[in-house]
Formats: sequence, structure tokens, C-alpha cells
Amino acid sequence: MSAVAAKPQAGGAMNPTAMAVGVVLTLILVGICYAVSPAIGLTTLIAVIIGGVLIGFGTHFVPVGGAPAAMGQAPGIATGVAMLAAGAGLAGLFGGAWAADQGVVIAVVTGGIGGGLMMAITCMMVNFVYVFGMGIPSASGKVAKDPITGDTQAEYKSQGTEGHGLPFISFVGGVIGGILGGAGGTLIYVALLHLYKVALPGMMGITAAQVLTIAVSTAGMFAVGLFLVNAVLTAYNITGTIEGPHDPKFKRWPRAIVASAVASALCGLVAVLIVVLPTMPM
Amino acid sequence: MSVKVEVIEGGIPHNKIMIAGVICTLLCIYLTYLNVVTKTEMFSFFGGLAVVAALIWGSHTIKVLCSYGIGTGVPSAGMIAFGSGVIAMLLATKFGILAPIVALVLAAIIGFILGYVSNNILNMKIPAMVQALTEMAVVGALSLMGFAALITGGFGFTGLTTKTVSYMGMSVMTHQESFLGGCLIAVAFLLGSIAIQHPFNATLGPGWKQDRMLMLTAECGFLSMIVAAIMSFALISASSAFISLIIAIIGWAYTYSEYMNMSKRDAAAWLDSKPIPDVEGH
Amino acid sequence: MEHIVFGIGITALTGALATIAGSAEDTESNIGSQGDPNSQVQLAPQMGFLHRIFNKAVAGEPPAYGLWCALGAGLAWAFMAMQIDPVLAIVLGCVLATFVQGVYATTAYVGRTASLAKFGQPVYVDILKSMTTVTMAHAFIAVFCTVTLCYLINGALGHPFPLPLLGLIWGIALGAAGSATGNPYYGKERQYQNQKFGAGVPISASGNIVRYAEAGERNSIDNGFFTHKIGGSASGICFGLIVFLELWRTVVFEAINPWYAIVVGILMILIFTVVDRYIEVWARKNYGPYSAIKEAEA
Repeated sequence: MSAVAAKPQAGGAMNPTAMAVGVVLTLILVGICYAVSPAIGLTTLIAVIIGGVLIGFGTHFVPVGGAPAAMGQAPGIATGVAMLAAGAGLAGLFGGAWAADQGVVIAVVTGGIGGGLMMAITCMMVNFVYVFGMGIPSASGKVAKDPITGDTQAEYKSQGTEGHGLPFISFVGGVIGGILGGAGGTLIYVALLHLYKVALPGMMGITAAQVLTIAVSTAGMFAVGLFLVNAVLTAYNITGTIEGPHDPKFKRWPRAIVASAVASALCGLVAVLIVVLPTMPM
Repeated sequence: MSVKVEVIEGGIPHNKIMIAGVICTLLCIYLTYLNVVTKTEMFSFFGGLAVVAALIWGSHTIKVLCSYGIGTGVPSAGMIAFGSGVIAMLLATKFGILAPIVALVLAAIIGFILGYVSNNILNMKIPAMVQALTEMAVVGALSLMGFAALITGGFGFTGLTTKTVSYMGMSVMTHQESFLGGCLIAVAFLLGSIAIQHPFNATLGPGWKQDRMLMLTAECGFLSMIVAAIMSFALISASSAFISLIIAIIGWAYTYSEYMNMSKRDAAAWLDSKPIPDVEGH
Repeated sequence: MEHIVFGIGITALTGALATIAGSAEDTESNIGSQGDPNSQVQLAPQMGFLHRIFNKAVAGEPPAYGLWCALGAGLAWAFMAMQIDPVLAIVLGCVLATFVQGVYATTAYVGRTASLAKFGQPVYVDILKSMTTVTMAHAFIAVFCTVTLCYLINGALGHPFPLPLLGLIWGIALGAAGSATGNPYYGKERQYQNQKFGAGVPISASGNIVRYAEAGERNSIDNGFFTHKIGGSASGICFGLIVFLELWRTVVFEAINPWYAIVVGILMILIFTVVDRYIEVWARKNYGPYSAIKEAEA
């Protein structure tokens, strides 16, 4: 549900001062982490920042149409952008977590493929329902020709609408978004899991086998939390709907990179501090 | 065409609700510390009451924020509140008796930075954004701490990660069946984020009334407390969990019937098995 | 080898459960009218079209189903920690989660409709009484199937995540898949049944949803039975494919060599891309354009 009330329009402009402040803030947070935990804490934080940026950037690719899409008035998927991206990314995280023992590279790639696969199936079924269930071909409202296939779009748009369904560029965008989101989430999870597996036994005074469930759950919860924060920030950036990478709104992505970097650095630093600071008795 | 939300004035001012919310929530969380003092788990129900207080405050913050038309809908605000809150809460639990205060300060910092990022880097330029996101992060962190106290009897890191079970007459510490080990924090996360955004989402419209929304928040809070109390049977003594359950059921029954009465008061008509009324021209 | 065969058997079962869950989820959200199509149910009274549709404004489907499934899984986990039999634990957990869902549904309907008092939209208590139980029943099926498949993934296939976290993940994924596939069918095809078939709803017709049914006045159960045939089945297939293929490629190939699983995943994505492209081209060729190709008018 979107609400419309009196509000100064956001617009796609960039704010250089704020972007600079954001970059400086990220560097300060990384510096703090370097000071408290140079080796493993720093690598974890860098990994979390990269993962968060991947999520934030990847969500720009996912085609979301919002409420008009549910009526065939706009192209895209008829769900909220943050939650659709979260759904795909979490499905990817599920696969990546399973492969976590096989090493970072395999886990992250597996997570990415998991997210991409979910988006591929979902986007295909969306087109399936539009074409075979409702008799409506796909058409984009933002471009005259599909950038990948060269199909003309305007004459396949029904009257009084902005387009409907998922043109091929939107499908590809969705898959790319799923891949990046799944990879980013898995990277955050694997990095935090490694940190907690190494540091928690000493901190809590227990064996590595006993700490495994705590490490998995805490890392998983952090990954979910960071996922949602980054996805919602992207939703704010694109003001709710986007047709895919061909949409003019896509050009706003630099803002989201900085925003995700700041948010992920901040949350990642807090995640690292959990194992650095001592536990006070109750 | 989107749903039109008009900014309705009147009722208790937001700052009053905020101050009352902070004081009540902190007070209720600290009252669970009586568990440590009296070496029982009987006072865990204060955690649930803390959740209700925090949610009442938080839902009003969402109302203030979303009245400006952020373009993405109400549920994402709940997600970012709890996404940032869970991260602050997990670190804060390490600080022993100071945990709630640390959670408040840390969540406020995270929320403030996220608000700055949204308003300036993402160019949303909403007047209430920074304060709203700060408040919501605090609400998220304190609600999760309340849930933790309700389900485990305390808010310290050790209490959240261990549970003492009796195995063949001996006391054994297990990590797998704890609040963090079993990832019950994921359930608390979603309980809170749906409960915080539901009251405004469910009562928005031209006929929005503040007392009806706040009563609905209390109802959502007590409903969450019911299921959380049932989950607490696994982690705290049966009698303490039973106390929480009874208080939650009584609270829910009262707030639900009051909410229904208020809706009856506000509705255009309260009909049973009547046809659609005739409106001119349709 | 036996390990892989056992895994495939479990995978097949989870795939079947996921299909049922997806179908029930979409039908439930259509009976309750949840998610993006609900904006039309909200808008209609404002344009003067009063109706008897259940206005269930409980967030969108992904977060809502994330909550019901995580709640069902968390309660099941708690009951299992109390040494209750797993099957009974899952059933009890899902019953309680469905109770929460029903309460949220009633408060949403009453709240949204009361706030539309200015336009004369009444609160129909009989709609509340008849729809709520039906939507709760469908939600129970969806939540139960999802929590069971999470339990199988954790218990039988050995996934490291604990049950509540798996419930969160698959609940959000279920909501996303079901909402993406089923929402346009409910929104365009059923709500705007009086519009011309084979085209999107023009913006001028917003709010003018169908309120008088085959017999009498339309209510949400009519919507549920209609959308179930295509929308529900498509959502079921979508979520079933997602769960089945994700598990299948992992169970069969990861033990042999993790890179095989990745390659198989890429192959699957390419296959779906080809299928999607085929559907798109078929539609363009068979349905043809709405207007002549020369008019590139926005």
C-alpha cells in the first residue's frame, strides 16, 4: 500500500556532500574495526560491507511493479521490492549456508545460483500466468525496444496502461538481482559464521562443537537483518517500483552503493564487537 | 491510483507518547531483573509488557513517518526498524545490567545514521525521517530485548545462549536449546515487525482515529505475548510461563473487545447479512 | 549412494508439500484479499463502489507468511524441546500460528473498513464470520506444509539452520513466490472481470471492481474458488519447483562435487530463460499487437 500525502518530491538527484560524508563514515567505521580487531575482525567487516553492497545493488535489478502491476497496469512483479528481493536472497542464503563448509567461494557462488534460480522460476511463472491465464503479452512502458532482444514494445501495450508482464530485459534483470542478492547474503553469513566459530569458544568458555548452533543462528539472524535493512534502503532509493535495469530509475544506483556501504559497515562493526567486547556479568 | 492518506491531527502528541514509551519499556525490562534478585523466573512477564509499551510507541512513530508518503508502503518501515534493532540488541546483551540502556543508545545511533543516509544520500528529504528511524530502531531493539526477557527470564548474553537441563539427575548446560541457539530470535523479530506496522496499516484511511490505532497496537502486543509465552514453556519453569500466558490472554481479550467496540463506534454501519447499500450513480 | 537415494526421496516429498503450500497460500491470500490487489478493494469505496469483499490488509504476503511459518516453526521447535512428538508439535504449532493469523485478519478488515466510514462502506459482520474461518483453513494448510518441509530439511537432510530460521526463510520465499504468481491473476482477471479480456486494466477504470457475482453479491469465497483454478495452481507449481529443484541439485550433486551442483543450477536457470523467452515470443506471435506497429505512442 502506498500513501500519497503532501511531501517534497525526492527526485533522482545525487547529493555529493552527503555521499562524501557517507564514504568518510564508512572509512571511519572500518578504521575503528581495524583498531579493535585487526586480523579477523577487519576481514569480516570488509566481507560484510561487500555483501551488503551486493544486496543493495542487486535489488535494483529486480523488476517490481507494485499495486498497478497487480492489475496489469504496469510491468513488473506485483509484490513489494524489499520483500521480493529478500525472498530471493534468503532462498539463496539457504543454499549457500548448506555449502558453507566447502569454502567461501563455493558457498557464495552456490548462494548466488540459488537466488538466481528462484527468481528465474518466479519470473517465468509470472509470464506464464500473464500469457496463458490472462491472455496478455509482455510490454515495457519505459523503452521503445527491448535492449536485449530488440522487440518493439509500444504496440504490445494495452490502452490506458503503462505496460504489463515481464519483458525479457526485466526477466534477465530479475535473475541478476537474485544472483547478486543471494551471493551478498551468503557472503555476509559465511564471514560472520567464520568469525563466530573462531572467537566464540574462547569468549564463552565452551568447545567448538557446542558453539556451532549459536554461531549459525547468530550469523544467520545477522544476515537476515542486514538483508532487510539493505533491501529497504534500496526500496527507498527507487521509491517503490522499478521495471528493471532499463528503467531510468536504475541510474540512481550510486546512491544506494554508498548507503548500503554505510549501513553494512555500521551493522558489521556491531557484529564484530560482539566477540571483541567482554561480557559483563548480570 | 494509490490509496490516499490524509495527515490527521489531534489526539495525544507524538512526543508525549514517545517519552511515555521509553520510560514504560525501560521500566518493564528492568523489572524482569527481579528474576536475578529473587532467583526465580516469575517476573518474566514484565518482558511482555515491555513489548506492548514499545510497540504502542513504535506504531505511532510509523504513523508519523508514513503519513508523509514514503512511497514504499508501511511494512518496510517495520522491517528496517527490527532489522536495525536486532543488531543493536545482540551487542547490548553483553553489558549485563546496563543492557537496556546500551541497547537504547546503540540503536539510536544506528537509527540516526540510517535516517541520515535515507534522507540525504537517498534524497528522500522527509522532515520526520531521521527522528522516526532513530525511534524505530530503538523500539526494535527494546522490543526484542523484551521478548528475550519474556522467553528466557533475563536479558544477558549468557542467559540467551544457554539453558540448564536436568539429564539423569545432573544439571547440564545446553546451547542448542536456547533463545539464540534455536534461533527463536527470528520468531521474535517477525512477531515484532508485523505487530509494529499492522496497527497503522490496518487503520489507515480518512477515518483514522488515534485511540483505535493504539488499542489495536496493544492487542497486537498482547497477541504476540501469548505465543511468546507459549514458546517460553520450553525455556523457563512452567509456573512462570503460565503466569505470562494468563496475563497475556487477559490483556489480549480485553484489548481485542475494546478494539472491536471502537471499530463499531467508528464504522459507517455495522451490518449483518445485508446487501450492498445503493449509492447514487453506481 | 543410499544416502543420495534417501535424500532424493525426502526431496520429492518436500517438493510435493511445497506445491500444496504454494497453492493454499495463493488461495488464502485471494480469499482474504491480501497484498497488492487489496489496494483496489481499499480504493473501490472511495470511488463510490461499495462492496462485500474481505479487506485483509496485513502487510504483504512475504512478511505475513514469513511470520506465520516462523511462528509455526518456532512453536513446533519449543514443543519438541519439551519432548513432545514431532508430528504433534508441528500440528499444534501450526494451529496456534493459524489462530494468530485469523486474529490479524479480523482486526485488519474491521480497522480498514471503519476508517472508510466517510464513504459509507459498512462493516459486514457476516463477511467477518464466514470468510475468516475459510482463510484460516487455507492458511493452516500452507503453514503446515511449509513447517513440515522445513522440519524435513533440518532433520532428514541435515541443514545447519535451526527450525525457526528455516521457517522464516521459506515463509518469506513462499509469500514472495505465491504473491508474484497469483496476484496479477486475482487483481486483473477476477477483480476486473468486467474489463475486456486480454488487456490490462486502464487507469480510468481503477476502483470499479466487480461487486455483483454469478448469483447475488460477490464475496471473497467466490474469488477464492475462481482464482484457485489457475492462480493457485500456478503458485503451487512455482513454489514447488523452487523448493524441489533447489534441494534436488544440492542433494544429488553436492556430495559428488560442489561445482557440479553449481553447473546444474546454471543450466536450470538457462532452461527457464529459454522457456520464458518461448512464452514471450509465442504471446507476441499469437496474440498480436494491440495497435499497428507504426504507432509508437506512449
